Amino acid sequence: MSPKEILNQLHQQGLVSGDQHRIMADIEAQRPFSLHWELRSILYVGILLLSSGLGLLIYENYDNLGHLIILGGIGLLCMAAYGYAWYVRPPWTPALTQSQSPFGDYALVLGCLLFLSLEGYAQYEYTIFGTRYGLVTFLPAILFLGLAYRFDHRGVLGMGLTALMAWVGVTVRPLDLYLKTNFFDARVIYSALALSGLVIGAALGLQRQKIKPHFTFTYLLVIGNLLLVALLAGIFNLDNLRLLFAVGLAVACVAFDFYARREQSFLFGLMAAVYGYIGLTYLLYHYLHPNEYVFTFYLLISGGALVVYLLKSERVKERKSVVRHSD
Amino acid sequence: MKAYSTTHIHNRTIRQQADRWQREGFLQADQVNAIRQAYPVPFRDSNVFAEIGAFVFTGIAVGGAYALIMLLMTGLLDNSVSFGAFNALVSLGLIVLIYNLIRRYNFYRNGPDNVLIVLAASFLLTAVNVVLPNDTALWVRCLLAVPILLAFAAYYGDVIVTFMALLAFYAAIFTALLELSWGRAALPFVLMGVSLGLWLLINRTKNRLPDSIYYADAFSMAEWLSLIVLVAAGNYFVVRELNGLLAEIEPGQPRPTIAPQISLAWLFWILTFLIPGVFAYLGFIRKDRMFVVLGILGFGAAASTVRYYYAWLPLSIHLTLVGTALIGGSVLVIRYLRQPRFGFTDVPDEESPRQFFLNAETLSIMSATGATMNRQPDMKFGGGDLGGGGAGRGY
Repeated sequence: MSPKEILNQLHQQGLVSGDQHRIMADIEAQRPFSLHWELRSILYVGILLLSSGLGLLIYENYDNLGHLIILGGIGLLCMAAYGYAWYVRPPWTPALTQSQSPFGDYALVLGCLLFLSLEGYAQYEYTIFGTRYGLVTFLPAILFLGLAYRFDHRGVLGMGLTALMAWVGVTVRPLDLYLKTNFFDARVIYSALALSGLVIGAALGLQRQKIKPHFTFTYLLVIGNLLLVALLAGIFNLDNLRLLFAVGLAVACVAFDFYARREQSFLFGLMAAVYGYIGLTYLLYHYLHPNEYVFTFYLLISGGALVVYLLKSERVKERKSVVRHSD
Repeated sequence: MKAYSTTHIHNRTIRQQADRWQREGFLQADQVNAIRQAYPVPFRDSNVFAEIGAFVFTGIAVGGAYALIMLLMTGLLDNSVSFGAFNALVSLGLIVLIYNLIRRYNFYRNGPDNVLIVLAASFLLTAVNVVLPNDTALWVRCLLAVPILLAFAAYYGDVIVTFMALLAFYAAIFTALLELSWGRAALPFVLMGVSLGLWLLINRTKNRLPDSIYYADAFSMAEWLSLIVLVAAGNYFVVRELNGLLAEIEPGQPRPTIAPQISLAWLFWILTFLIPGVFAYLGFIRKDRMFVVLGILGFGAAASTVRYYYAWLPLSIHLTLVGTALIGGSVLVIRYLRQPRFGFTDVPDEESPRQFFLNAETLSIMSATGATMNRQPDMKFGGGDLGGGGAGRGY
């Protein structure tokens, strides 16, 4: 049904007055077609292609002069991108804010990606950080987190968190569903747990202080997944501490579920349900060695129970929102 | 005959539009309340993430139940007729279950009903396929699946079942043609013709069917799919590589690493650019988002096709130039559209899924970060690779 048909029907029912009908019909007929997200997507893909092209170019062998020109050019472009982003920077406020130019946010992303390429090359060619490999990822992490707060940019926040995860030995590329790490190494699991505990604590603290509270979603989405994956890895791989990790996973899932209801952000409820279910199923299989009858019965009962639970908790939310409306 | 109430779907559409007008300030709160009174919608209203979870866990529960019954009835289901009858019974049981969910609990595409519809259709297809003689050709099996799936689609208006019906339809054409000696050569033309016909048919039906609102999502998906097949079937890369894969190889000969040149190559080179061009034109004239997006993606695919066969420049320089061109072009158009022109604007739509785009941006930028940090050809960082830098679009 087109907006026009709906409008006519509402008018016939007497729910919209004649004048209103005329004005709205005019507006609907002349409503321009928005290309906003299509154009942003093209711009974005352009930035990703340009930065990966330049990132490859650095490592190619040209004569000395050519190489210096390439390095200098990328350096200048990086500074120009940062400079432009700063020139149109949003005013500092702890609340949600926006760059003064439609291109500010994109320039910032370009600057950050080029910085990463240059920094990686500097370590590769000149080993500026020596053998302190941690610094190679920790430095951009801190830089990006700072920039994310100053410029109110959730994408750069995601970059900072990705760098932080790389710092503790976890490489993620969410779009490729790619995760590279060594969770058989207990140290990696502990570092991931320590990092996620720290970061989530900091995120919730900042939310409480009302400093960029809209960042909490990104924090919990990225680092929350790291936390839950690390807990599962502990259950799977660390035989001595399996039960301790099981308790940890249970606590984390309950906490995520609680948060999901309080903030009505149901993605976190789904995360709790899925990770919790994987952990529970593994523990059941590991300790009880159920036969096939018990196991299929378990799938039936547990699946059904989770469906009821997920849709029920939805109900709670609905009732709450009804109450809020009538306030 | 339909599973869900068309009236309530109709009312829901009116309410959504009224809410949008309220957000834009055209309707007052009391007016919207009056509209809500006049157009009741008793459907369950649930969150998309709860629905995803409910979808998955319903699937697990049904899978467990199915396996359990199979275990309990071991020995009884050994011949194909009894196994087929069993699957048909399971399908019937699920249909009754869906009926009750809709009747008693007001389900409307809340996850469990979606997956149960898909499973009911799948079990019925299994039943038909085990009963068919073993030497039944694949294309016959695919063709038989189409009316069954369409019946489910007509009754439930479900998107996934409609998608399965289209896949079965295309698979039937594909496998039937390959059995013919001239089939491989005719394949791209048949697929293009069928897709175009399919799109025209959907487009007509959509505007003439009295209850077409019931099928809005299914129609929309079918339009996207048929047009994607149309543009792919005319693309030089797809035709040449698929042709190379399907070519019969002499026994003992390795498959050539480069797909051989195809006949009528010039025609496919023209189609590679012409079809996206027509899409972009239609998108511009009709102000149709589907054609705009398909036109853009089609041009991306066409450009990648050229690059794949004629790599004049090293990848690094190629990416740099294409990236620069995309940035320059989009910046120019964004600046140009600061004022609405030709009925186009850069102001975001009230209905655009802003949150979705922001999260997609964050995820793709994280992928690029992970890939960039992994690029150094250093022992410490593993092998250097291009990684997700292209974010999966065309590259």
